[in-house]
Amino acid sequence: MPRIQAHPVLADRQATEVGFMFNGESARGYEGEAVSSSLVALGISQFSLHHKDLAPQGLFCANGQCSQCTVLIDGIPRKACVSPLKAGMDIRTLSGLPSLPTADMPLRQAEKRTLRTDILIIGGGPSGLSAAYELGKMGFQVIVADDKESVGGKLVLQTHKFFGSEQDCYAGVRGIEIAGLLSDKLKRLPNVQVLKNAPVVALFKDRKAGIYKDYSSYVLVEFTAIVVATGAREKGVLFPGNDLPGIYGAGAFQTLVNRDRVKAARRIFIVGSGNVGLIAAYHALQADIEVAGIVEIMGRINGYKVHADKIRRMGVPIHLNTTVLKAEGKGKVQRITTAKVDDQFRPIAGTSLAYDVDAVLIATGLSPCDEFLRQAKSYGIIAVAAGDAEEIAEASSAMFGGKIAAYQLAELLGRKVEVRESWKQTREVLKSKPGDSFSRSPVIPGAEWRPVFFCSEQIPCNPCSTVCPSSSIHLRPLRGTIMDLPYFDGEKCLGCMACVSSCPGLAISLVRRLNETEAEVVLPWEFGAGFPEDQEMDLVDQEGSFVERAPVIGKRFSKKNRTWLLSFRTRVGKATSIAGIRVQDPAVTKGEAVDLPDADELDSIVCRCERITLGEIVSFIKDNDVRDINQLKSLRVGMGACGGKTCSQLLAKAFRLAGIDMAEVEPASVRPLFMEVPMGEIVNEGLERLGSVDASQRGAP
Amino acid sequence: MKNYDVIIIGAGSIGVPLAWQLAERGVRVAVLDHEPSWGRGQNRAAIGGLRATHSDPAKIRICLESISIVSTMKEAYGFDVEWEQGGYLYVAYDVERKAEFLALLKVQKAAGLNIDWIDAEQVKALAPGINATGLLGGTFSPGDGFASSIMANTAYHKLALDAGADFYFNTKVEDIRMKGGKVASITAGGEEWSSPLFINAAGAEASDIASLAGVVLPVHPDCHEAGVTEPVEHFMRPMLVDIRPDAESGNYYFYQAQTGQIVFCITPRPQIWGRDKDSTSAFLPLCSRRLLELYPRLRNLRVRRTWRGMYPMTPDGLPIVGYPEKAENFLQAAGMCGQGFMMGPGLGKILAESIVSGGTRANPAGSTPYAFVFDELACSRTFDHVELLK
Repeated sequence: MPRIQAHPVLADRQATEVGFMFNGESARGYEGEAVSSSLVALGISQFSLHHKDLAPQGLFCANGQCSQCTVLIDGIPRKACVSPLKAGMDIRTLSGLPSLPTADMPLRQAEKRTLRTDILIIGGGPSGLSAAYELGKMGFQVIVADDKESVGGKLVLQTHKFFGSEQDCYAGVRGIEIAGLLSDKLKRLPNVQVLKNAPVVALFKDRKAGIYKDYSSYVLVEFTAIVVATGAREKGVLFPGNDLPGIYGAGAFQTLVNRDRVKAARRIFIVGSGNVGLIAAYHALQADIEVAGIVEIMGRINGYKVHADKIRRMGVPIHLNTTVLKAEGKGKVQRITTAKVDDQFRPIAGTSLAYDVDAVLIATGLSPCDEFLRQAKSYGIIAVAAGDAEEIAEASSAMFGGKIAAYQLAELLGRKVEVRESWKQTREVLKSKPGDSFSRSPVIPGAEWRPVFFCSEQIPCNPCSTVCPSSSIHLRPLRGTIMDLPYFDGEKCLGCMACVSSCPGLAISLVRRLNETEAEVVLPWEFGAGFPEDQEMDLVDQEGSFVERAPVIGKRFSKKNRTWLLSFRTRVGKATSIAGIRVQDPAVTKGEAVDLPDADELDSIVCRCERITLGEIVSFIKDNDVRDINQLKSLRVGMGACGGKTCSQLLAKAFRLAGIDMAEVEPASVRPLFMEVPMGEIVNEGLERLGSVDASQRGAP
Repeated sequence: MKNYDVIIIGAGSIGVPLAWQLAERGVRVAVLDHEPSWGRGQNRAAIGGLRATHSDPAKIRICLESISIVSTMKEAYGFDVEWEQGGYLYVAYDVERKAEFLALLKVQKAAGLNIDWIDAEQVKALAPGINATGLLGGTFSPGDGFASSIMANTAYHKLALDAGADFYFNTKVEDIRMKGGKVASITAGGEEWSSPLFINAAGAEASDIASLAGVVLPVHPDCHEAGVTEPVEHFMRPMLVDIRPDAESGNYYFYQAQTGQIVFCITPRPQIWGRDKDSTSAFLPLCSRRLLELYPRLRNLRVRRTWRGMYPMTPDGLPIVGYPEKAENFLQAAGMCGQGFMMGPGLGKILAESIVSGGTRANPAGSTPYAFVFDELACSRTFDHVELLK
């Protein structure tokens, strides 16, 4: 797979190329990038062959959560996705179990390292950083422990502009930029220490957390209270072949593409029509990756209509009431088969389509990473949750939620602070699901510029109304919140295009009449614009139906929003129905009609670590009269490296198929460790004193 | 009122295999537990060691029975419980320990156990990479081994179900009513239960349960922590036991399971009495350090999970098995001192045979040859003897 050389949004990469060995051959990658990304960039999809059945294993979460990407690095098994590439590394794929290196010299030294703080914030994403800022301002000693090289959580993958309100959560700004803004604010607070590359691997009863600093040493942090801001993880899906390399979470794909600039696939398919899946489709197109389609098993799109419309305009179909029946491929996914489903979610004969793709993104929803919260509560530790770990919502809501969590925690710690009622209301608005949809009356193009809104569904968003220099865009108050829809009701549009370039949904055009028969339409464009001035493009309406092919008559670049604004000369009659530009050839999205495959869902892998199928679990539940998830350990479910993080949310289905109500079922117990750590690193064998970690990190996120 | 031939309190290491053995023999048996499923007390905290090399004849006999059951689970019943006959190896790095082991060896050999002294070279052959500095040798018992406590308990549960035993989970014993020196009935899960024979197999809670019947059972749990690593190719064969204490810990032991994972456990020092099963921060660095001192190559092995479990201790380190004077139909099978998993199947068989052959308080072994077991482990003993190889 090639690297993404030019990206319409991301700045050029500043990285040093280094050489390493892969399976005995020389290869090159970028210093410090995740080894998994170096390998995917080389076209490697198989990282290991599973010790149980030698099934190919590939990158799956790219987030340190599972262990599917384990490879041998200098003879030692490591997760490729959290191992930074270094010059001269000897990287090998693993077949079966690794053999333990015979490093038999006696223990050189063991050293305990402990840091002390008032508040430990687990996770430096939008909510964790916001909470850190508020708690820092109140004067608490705060340590933020984040598992990545750069803080910001999933913000660093979000190349798109944010919804929400400018005032509360940087609406209109791209996620990648918000990450920097939040972390800059913390630099002004000397009592806030941000530990990067510092996953919390265990929470203990004696109010200490184990941190796997730089994935190479073990530090205990003693705290008074914690904020759990650990975000969410993607839910899995069940279909035969769901474990093939090339099938991964949408977050993993975004990590490869947006963080590490690896063109992770040629053509992808997406399962799930929530905002994550819709945005991932857009990110793929921006990285010059084809998107064959999106399936949604339900009868309606799950995400914001503006997101869905945007990608439909670009030429990505969303197939409702449709599911994936199976994935196939030799060593990696090469083909998937879909079908429409009836109201019982059973596939309908005669509706099966097959698509040749080399990646499938799973975007069927998120579940909170709430293990530390549950543990803290059972230990009696003072703890609050923020962001997705508390409730799944947009990052805008997470930022605001982090602030509220900080105040709640301060209150629990005896500070006389108060969570203002208005904040709670703002939070409620920011995390709102889409509201009602409205049709808008048609706009007739005149001689003056006029904005045309393709924003017809209530969502929490207002940048257009705040950027208009003539204050001519207002939210028409139905709810009295930023859920209301924007309308142009001023005297005059200056034609400045600020609304067009700032709209996160790319759902505003500017239109004016040029003459009797022609109009000029301005549309936002977040792709490369190296084409000639008179390039003709296919223009489409709000939901992507073709309107006309028209020439570009002008292009300008909004630096602030890193967005191109393209002007087209169109016929006057349909000018105000033109909402976007098709970017993808319709042939890419055409499936091949096939017979309904003989695919049994029971053959799907549920526990990836130990390779246990749905069928095996259902039989075990029935045979042993199981009402306790912990008993599935006899099948080794949850006994693997990930500790049930990847499969636990799929188990409900197994119990349901066994005829058991989940309400009767005892949940799985949570135990340390959250992530595996080598014994030598737990005792900090042969390392320098901790002082260096402490001094270099203090106050400098 | 629910009525059974035998009612067992506790669906754990002891209660579940006992229920299986009784049901196999046609006894109508119920097992009650306040947990939501079987083996949820200390069974799943057991690391899985199974040895007959004790110093006490009753325990030796019980564990020989256990080994014969667990080692044939696959052939006889079709359950893979990951049994490996890797042997137990007690290592000696100083002359005191060596002398202690050699003295004990005489007792163990006299009891007919397959155990002998091996020299440092033989130790290194069984455990390549073990720290050779100062290694003198050790005692090795090749007939011992290890298995998955979780899988074994699941197998016993399934065998018990198939043989007709009834399990009642989320059913806590609330009250015991006595009549004429006998348990008349019990209240559990809001229901009344009656039976000619009740059995206390409540593990760490056994003394609480016994006290409901006015029986004082000297069983006090203390906490131990354990862990498991990622799997790697097999490189060591036996369960390694190092009984040398240091400032922060007592003995520790570990083995490489059939899956390739190292499973390990340590005795904290001072002992942590009580029932708090929440993990603390001290264990992981401590246990890692001690393991690395003995076996440096483990440095590159990743620890996957840790947990805490209780050893229901008795004053002399021996289980309590018998019918108490104050409640003569209330058989006690408790105080396994952290060895419930290894004694469960053997004790289950011995107790089931004794019960079916007419065992009572007057003659607990019935027509079986197990009188010595009941004699040694009796509730009424003085608890002044100390088990040598705890």
